Amino acid sequence: MSDATPGSGAGAAAGGELAVEIHDLTKSYKRDRFDIKVLDGLSLAVRSGEFVALMGPSGSGKSTLLNLLAGVDRPTSGELRVAGQRVGGLSDRRLAEWRHRHIGFIFQFYNLIPVLTAYENVELPLTLERLSKAQRRVKVETALGVVGLGDRMRHYPRQLSGGQEQRVAIARAIVTDPTLLLADEPTGDLDATSAAEVLDLLVQLNQEFGKTILMVTHDPRAAERASRLLHLEKGKLVESEQEALGETAPSQPVGAREA
Amino acid sequence: MRKLIWRNLLRNKVRTLLTVLSVAIALFLLTLLGGVYRALTAVGSENSAELLVARNAISLTFQLPEAYGQRLRSIEGVEEIVGTTWFQGVYKDTRPENMFPRFAADETLFEVYQEIEISDEHLQAWLAERDAFVAGRALAEKQGWEIGDRIQIQGDIYPVNLDLVLRGLFEWPGEEFQENLIYFHRRYLEEATGNPGIVGTYWMRLSSEDVAPQVIQTSEAMFENSAAQVRTETGEAFAASFTEMLGNVQFLFGAIGLGIVISILFITANTMAMAARERTTETAVLRTLGFQRPAVLGMVLGEALLVGGLGALLGVLGGSLALQGLGEAMQQFAPTFAAVRATPGILAGALGLGLVIGFASGIIPAVAQARASIVDGLRSVG
Repeated sequence: MSDATPGSGAGAAAGGELAVEIHDLTKSYKRDRFDIKVLDGLSLAVRSGEFVALMGPSGSGKSTLLNLLAGVDRPTSGELRVAGQRVGGLSDRRLAEWRHRHIGFIFQFYNLIPVLTAYENVELPLTLERLSKAQRRVKVETALGVVGLGDRMRHYPRQLSGGQEQRVAIARAIVTDPTLLLADEPTGDLDATSAAEVLDLLVQLNQEFGKTILMVTHDPRAAERASRLLHLEKGKLVESEQEALGETAPSQPVGAREA
Repeated sequence: MRKLIWRNLLRNKVRTLLTVLSVAIALFLLTLLGGVYRALTAVGSENSAELLVARNAISLTFQLPEAYGQRLRSIEGVEEIVGTTWFQGVYKDTRPENMFPRFAADETLFEVYQEIEISDEHLQAWLAERDAFVAGRALAEKQGWEIGDRIQIQGDIYPVNLDLVLRGLFEWPGEEFQENLIYFHRRYLEEATGNPGIVGTYWMRLSSEDVAPQVIQTSEAMFENSAAQVRTETGEAFAASFTEMLGNVQFLFGAIGLGIVISILFITANTMAMAARERTTETAVLRTLGFQRPAVLGMVLGEALLVGGLGALLGVLGGSLALQGLGEAMQQFAPTFAAVRATPGILAGALGLGLVIGFASGIIPAVAQARASIVDGLRSVG
């Protein structure tokens, strides 16, 4: 995938290197007079090249954790490092740059820009970089090729199926070769076949290209595809992992192990 | 980003078209008002403080006896006097391009209107022939007339047709719109109409502007007990009264213009706010991808400026064409309407105003979008 190949850049698996380090992370929201603690002293470590599924009931803090990892929200307290960078202390401007460089975000509802073609949607993050049009084209075509949509580049989102839209969104997420792919219920809006295709693609990105993936899901079948499963409940990691895909994973909750 | 701005603009074509058209109509009206206002304000500028005009006290549509001329001329301080009569008539047909003011004037015309420039050769040629006429250079160029050309003016107010020969061209420096008329001999009109002995207005050149009050008083008193009473105004007083009248016009035009701008601003701002709000999630997605707040601000603002700018372009173009037509249609009634046109200043002003409308309508939603929380934006997904 040349420069755009997931895994060839910052996100490449590097045995044992930590992609995500979270220590005693807390996030509270103020609703009227009440402080609502969404994440409560959460600690977690994700190694580069891991595919982590994060499950839990609604309101357990899954999306909040994802937002904090993506740098679109700020923690109330605690430390959060992604690829060695302490995220919480960055200014808005630096945070946006950091996000562009290190995070690929996949949304439940794809969130493609409807007035742009598949090609243009994938090209969008690259317009923030100093790249020639030809360089951008190589990267976009490679990313769309990886997700199997090389022949749909000129299609607008409305001309694609849900599964295809999500694959375009995945291409957009990987085109900058980010350190961490964050997926917020990526199969939540898809039928079983499309969901399976998207999960296959995520597994492929993880196994072939070494991408580190953190996926929030309600779907146990989706979670099974991950190499590690975490459960969040009331802002705490209550069950940290399970073996999936036959890969070795720590048997204790991360919090318990660190304790 | 430019591509995205443009695509966003075309996303809801009907809404964009209607908004652009509303701005265009507003700017069309403002251009029209600006052009007409300019023409109205141009009226007073040719009046010298040393010029007096005597007319029938009832109104301009009533005339004065020819005999008044000699008596007015005899007033101390009056250096020269010229009687002028509005002929109207039809040249060729009633198409706008053939409509221009036609005045019958005494031979003393150029002694009173000293602002008009005419060569001695042309002046003498005009004075020498009973059916000669002089035309403004601008009008002659427009009509393609050359010295010696003959024209016929068919009478409508007066039941006579006038056969005239062009003997002279005049210029009115700085007042080019005043060159859009012709003068022929009042004597010729009198003869053709059976010597009724009437004059439309008398213009008097004074020895100095200081004598104006005295001349006004004397001239009005002179005909106080006559059937046709006289009202005399100085050029300055005329200009002042005109300006005074324009004060109201200015207020009226200003109020209308302001009303148009404010209402269109609200409409455009509402549209921009709706458009921006509909894209809250997309904005959040863009920021998740790494786009900075200023980029989001620029995107919304750019779209608003495009709406304002496109609307202004359309409006100014339409207004400019309308002014041209209006000027040509109206100049037969008053030469000043030849000045009805969109000047570069008016065009630039209207275009600028369009951009200001765009900016003002876009800045609030743009700032709101730029400052919005990404998390809230993403949360608004389905």
